[in-house]
Amino acid sequence: MNIIVCIKQVPDPEGPPGSYVINPALNRVEARGIPPVLSLFDENALEAALRIKDTLTHDEVKITVMSMGTRISGAVLQKALAAGADELVKIEDGALESATLDSHATASALASAIRKKGKYDLIFTGRQAADWNAGQVGIGIARFLGIPAVTLAGKVTIKDGHAVVERVTPRGYEVVRTPLPSLIAVSNEVGALRYPTMMQRREAKHKPVTSWSTADIGLYGNPETRLVVKGFFVREMRQGRCEIIEGDTAATAGLNLAQRLMHDGVISP
Amino acid sequence: MSEGAVTVLVELTEEKGIEPVSRECLAMAGKIAGACGTKLAAVVMGNAIGDAAGEVSRYDIDTVYTLDHPLLECYESELYEAAFLQFYTIARPCGILMGHTLLSIDLAPRIAFALGTSLVTDCTGFEYGAEGLCFIKPVYSGNIYASLLIRGEPFMATIRLKSEEPALPSQKRHVEIVRVPVELDRTGAAIEVLERVVGENRGADLQSADIVVAGGRGIGSAEGFELLKNLAGMLGGAVGASRPPCDLGWVSPAIQVGQTGGIVSPSVYIAVGISGSMQHIAGMAGAKTVVAVNKDPAATIFKIADYGVVGDFREVMPAFTGAIRDRRKGGTTQGNRT
Ligand SMILES: Cc1cc2nc3c(=O)[nH]c(=O)nc-3n(C[C@H](O)[C@H](O)[C@H](O)COP(=O)(O)OP(=O)(O)OC[C@H]3O[C@@H](n4cnc5c(N)ncnc54)[C@H](O)[C@@H]3O)c2cc1C
Ligand SMILES: Nc1ncnc2c1ncn2[C@@H]1O[C@H](COP(=O)(O)O)[C@@H](O)[C@H]1O
Repeated sequence: MNIIVCIKQVPDPEGPPGSYVINPALNRVEARGIPPVLSLFDENALEAALRIKDTLTHDEVKITVMSMGTRISGAVLQKALAAGADELVKIEDGALESATLDSHATASALASAIRKKGKYDLIFTGRQAADWNAGQVGIGIARFLGIPAVTLAGKVTIKDGHAVVERVTPRGYEVVRTPLPSLIAVSNEVGALRYPTMMQRREAKHKPVTSWSTADIGLYGNPETRLVVKGFFVREMRQGRCEIIEGDTAATAGLNLAQRLMHDGVISP
Repeated sequence: MSEGAVTVLVELTEEKGIEPVSRECLAMAGKIAGACGTKLAAVVMGNAIGDAAGEVSRYDIDTVYTLDHPLLECYESELYEAAFLQFYTIARPCGILMGHTLLSIDLAPRIAFALGTSLVTDCTGFEYGAEGLCFIKPVYSGNIYASLLIRGEPFMATIRLKSEEPALPSQKRHVEIVRVPVELDRTGAAIEVLERVVGENRGADLQSADIVVAGGRGIGSAEGFELLKNLAGMLGGAVGASRPPCDLGWVSPAIQVGQTGGIVSPSVYIAVGISGSMQHIAGMAGAKTVVAVNKDPAATIFKIADYGVVGDFREVMPAFTGAIRDRRKGGTTQGNRT
């Protein structure tokens, strides 16, 4: 079985607020002083793929991680190989600056890369990339490849040549069955990406890495986009004027807090 | 912009009422229609939704389209997409708004790709200027807002809950109800639903609660949350959580608050052992009063809180809960003002 996992590199979404700087000249946001990381839900997507590999012991499961962008950090993607992916395909090109691509262009380019890669039974993406949180590329890839897409996956198993997916719903979850090949967009309910051992880290350095340019995947010129960024701005966060309630001990402070909230009518006594 | 109406996909609650976020969409779409000089419409999808269509027609809109079919009883990606595209062919809306919900997270991109247009998800507003209509969306963990223009038609956006004052019923114009003939069967559907499991209703109590007691990674365990449940129970409120307690299995993912969880705006939000990441704040910034308990005086949550205690919640919260209980029982526990 061949599994492709699309993983995006993003500036650490938990960086302090000042780390994201608007560059008005280039009309884009730049990260300052924070490291790039694997987009969070893409780690969950890789974990979902690894769990399938863990359980399908009679079948040879090959996991290819695929990442597209400019200036992709090798160190960041090594993490995916160390965790258990078998090979990495990078689509790296100046024309693929994620700040200038919309979901349509991204999905179309990734679909071309996946087609070039050839055989696949399952494609995983994250539910949304942690920088722009669009949540569209997975469905777009499936559309371009003409395969079914299941979103908001909390658990994925393989049974009788189908993928069985638990999807998060407003009321709990639903179990759906989708034929192979399908695309599955993964949510954090799947669980965190496993931690590689020292040995796996060393082995990762010897795993195959392929680099493609836009021409390699049949893209010429700048990809067509349909969303235009008109501008960026910063909005004031909710401002509290936090009054710290003190006490001799933490318990007394808790008691004082309760009395204060009741006194101020925040909580009715 | 074409002749078609700005159209809201109205989602129904379990009781076939209108989802609050859909009422917000109606309000926002009304403003957009006003700015662009187009009509305003709503579309309702489901099975036996006659009453709901009547309910929607009480709002100040031009047309209510109903897509009523037994196969639309529950949401299924492929069936809903097929039905919506049939509606699109008939009504040709110039724009489509939906609430940013678990349904639209799946449906909206499908429709956008099928129609070859663009979609901005999780928007908090719009602006209309010389260049046209732009949707505003928080990006980079909510630290920055982007204003995005859609080239192509129809424009599509999903709207984050609590972005707009919800529309109220008010009959100003004559509302036309159009029943769209839907032809559906399962032959083209690849995805099969095997089972629907109803768990804790995703944040239903949380959504309507006037007081939310929320815990974070600092709570440390499922047992720790018992303390918060007791307090919430006593206050008649609901328990919420940041993401780690959900991921770690201490509480149900249904009660996650934040960008990818529920969005709440209670009178009082008590955040315990929560550091205050932007992704969490996105879900509770609308609270009237925020109370924070955290052992780290530098935690971001204090920057947006109104009242705070710096300390270990295991000492703070029992005393806090005890003081309210005593007072309600007529006791007179005295604290020391410092
Ligand atoms: C795309 C994306 C979407 C996300 N969506 C969400 C979302 O919807 N909701 C969400 O919450 N997060 C979300 N996150 C995760 C978010 O970035 C943070 O990681 C998360 O909110 C942190 O949760 P926390 O504050 O509970 O944990 P931490 O940041 O680890 O904070 C724990 C806090 O507890 C305090 N503490 C520890 N022990 C005690 C004690 N004994 N007494 C008192 N205080 C104590 C610590 O001082 C600390 O401040 C998202 C992230 C991404 C990238
Ligand atoms: N540049 C990229 N390279 C690899 N995967 C991507 C890229 N952009 C998006 N994806 C995948 O698509 C998912 C959804 O992205 P988005 O629609 O941009 O929120 C991500 O979680 C990734 O799995």
